[in-house]
Amino acid sequence: MKYHLITLGCQMNLSDSERVISVLDQAGYTWTDDEAEAGLIGILACSVRQKAIDKVYSRIHKWNKWKNRKNLVTFISGCILPDDYERFLKLFDIIFQMKDLPELPDLINSYGINTPVRLRHGIDPHNTNIGEFWSVKPSYQSEFEAFIPIQNGCDKFCTFCAVPYTRGREVSRPSAEILAELALLVSNGYKSITLLGQNVNSYGRDKKGNEISFPELLRQVGELGNRSGKEFWVYYTSPHPHDMTDEVIEVMAQYPVLAKQVHLPMQSGDNKVLIRMNRTHDIEKYRQIVQSVRRIIPEATLFTDIITGFTGETEEQFENTRRAMEEFKFNMAYTAIYSPRPGAVSHRWEDTVPLEEKKRRLHILTDELRKHNIEYNRGLVGKTFRALVRGADRKEGYLSALTEGKLIIRFPSDADDLTGKFVDVKITSASDFSLEGELVQINVLA
Amino acid sequence: MLRHLSDTAFVLQLERRGLPFHTGQFVVLRRPKTIVQRAYTVYSGEREQYLEVLVREISVGKVTPGLKKLNPGDVLEIDGPFGFFRFNPVFFPSQKFLFIASGTGISPYHSFIQTYPNMDYRLIHGVKYGKEAYEHHHYDPSRITLCTSADKTGRYHGRVTDYLKDYEISGETQCFLCGNNEMILQAYDLLVQKGVPVHNIHSEVHYQ
Repeated sequence: MKYHLITLGCQMNLSDSERVISVLDQAGYTWTDDEAEAGLIGILACSVRQKAIDKVYSRIHKWNKWKNRKNLVTFISGCILPDDYERFLKLFDIIFQMKDLPELPDLINSYGINTPVRLRHGIDPHNTNIGEFWSVKPSYQSEFEAFIPIQNGCDKFCTFCAVPYTRGREVSRPSAEILAELALLVSNGYKSITLLGQNVNSYGRDKKGNEISFPELLRQVGELGNRSGKEFWVYYTSPHPHDMTDEVIEVMAQYPVLAKQVHLPMQSGDNKVLIRMNRTHDIEKYRQIVQSVRRIIPEATLFTDIITGFTGETEEQFENTRRAMEEFKFNMAYTAIYSPRPGAVSHRWEDTVPLEEKKRRLHILTDELRKHNIEYNRGLVGKTFRALVRGADRKEGYLSALTEGKLIIRFPSDADDLTGKFVDVKITSASDFSLEGELVQINVLA
Repeated sequence: MLRHLSDTAFVLQLERRGLPFHTGQFVVLRRPKTIVQRAYTVYSGEREQYLEVLVREISVGKVTPGLKKLNPGDVLEIDGPFGFFRFNPVFFPSQKFLFIASGTGISPYHSFIQTYPNMDYRLIHGVKYGKEAYEHHHYDPSRITLCTSADKTGRYHGRVTDYLKDYEISGETQCFLCGNNEMILQAYDLLVQKGVPVHNIHSEVHYQ
């Protein structure tokens, strides 16, 4: 039987989809790019914003109409809020939490027959037996970039966020497994590897002394890199400022494989908004982290996440966020307008900022980012950077690459065999969100 | 076990079963085989053998009416503890504390004081009516000020934030704010204006 899988949302879902594909392939199902051809269609849902979950509803309505003329089994997993979970039970044939992935083939085979997993009511917040999910060997979708999940779940309960309710409690994956997967990827020539977790830098804390800490995990990753003799970059996302320490940054400085790129969600630059969001830190704490990054790894790029128009955000409070952007000079900001999430605490509060105003604030922040980036990027002209080629650029006759700091560089070349290889590129021109350059050197090692 | 404090407020006492927590943290409760859950600060102290939470019934709510009907032997699912609304007891005995609460936001302070009965604190509790002075007999009467906005049964008639305007405080005091959004944000501003450094102000919004 042919299957098709749609993955919505973040890198965690992308990473999870690699395991879903692996399980289905091993069970004998055959991938198809065309959902109309498939007898089995799955979707990994995203609940971070209403728009994301609306996509799921529109698709399942379409697929359920197809059932009038063909046999079709549908399944859903990923990040699903409790209210949607109840509705999806009626709309999808199979719904399961990702930790129960190893049971998916049985669920499909026995579709229509109640199994313990089907009968388990609601979402298990404790991620019981998630180890079985992690032990599924993923079907990596790239030959040079990979994700390694190291932690699942969230205990922070930010008031705007659905993740504690969709992904459950923080659970850390055994470090031995993480390092083994990393070693395998490195030996297979992977060049860019991202350690994933909803609270990646609280890694180990749930094990209460029975697991290494996040800085120690990074240290061991760095040592593995030194021993390997290979060139590769290791990233991590998403960290929470609450758990960020100078030790993490100092370890990053010590090892070449630990990529000098920090993605640190700020969400707001105003203390009172941060209080309402329950972010558990103030902007001064965030500032101290940024100062540590600038001091210890000054070459690092800084990325962030920001929400505009959170409930109750005044013009003055928004201005504090804009000023924070001006101060911290992010290289990239993933900015989103606030979307109340059912189940998240803030859903019970009035959504006070009108949509048009949220959009206006979003545009202001985008302009602020653009302003800084153009100045920063122009300062790079004439310099040479190591970059990992990702494939053909949208601009014809060009390849697209990422620097260690995840800045986008395009350069003229038709050499598709450079994809997945490190090259040196000299920057010749810059725009607000990308750089253009010329190839200086090709890495002869594969 | 339920201990009714008023028509709408009650303390729910649960078996603790060794659940470790730091005073100030919260737990998430839900009835078995249901999806809707709510977070409650632990009301009891760290050394108690039981776990208590202070609940105010919302008549149209999805959870609290059910909690009010619980009988001994009924089962609840507990998740947690969570939260960072804590303080460092290393500062004892020299540290002074100011606890500001509205409504059931008094919960963490009840736990603080049960856990550390010798701490040097002042507690300002804002409610609408005097009957919402939840178990004030558990506190040193010289250390607690009840602010009632809708009747005159409290020591101060008015809101917590009105009382705070004329309150003298040293910048070294560790200030804790717990309650509704509006009170927390107004109190925060007042404390900052009075010279309390931001890092000495700790807050937790109580979800209404």
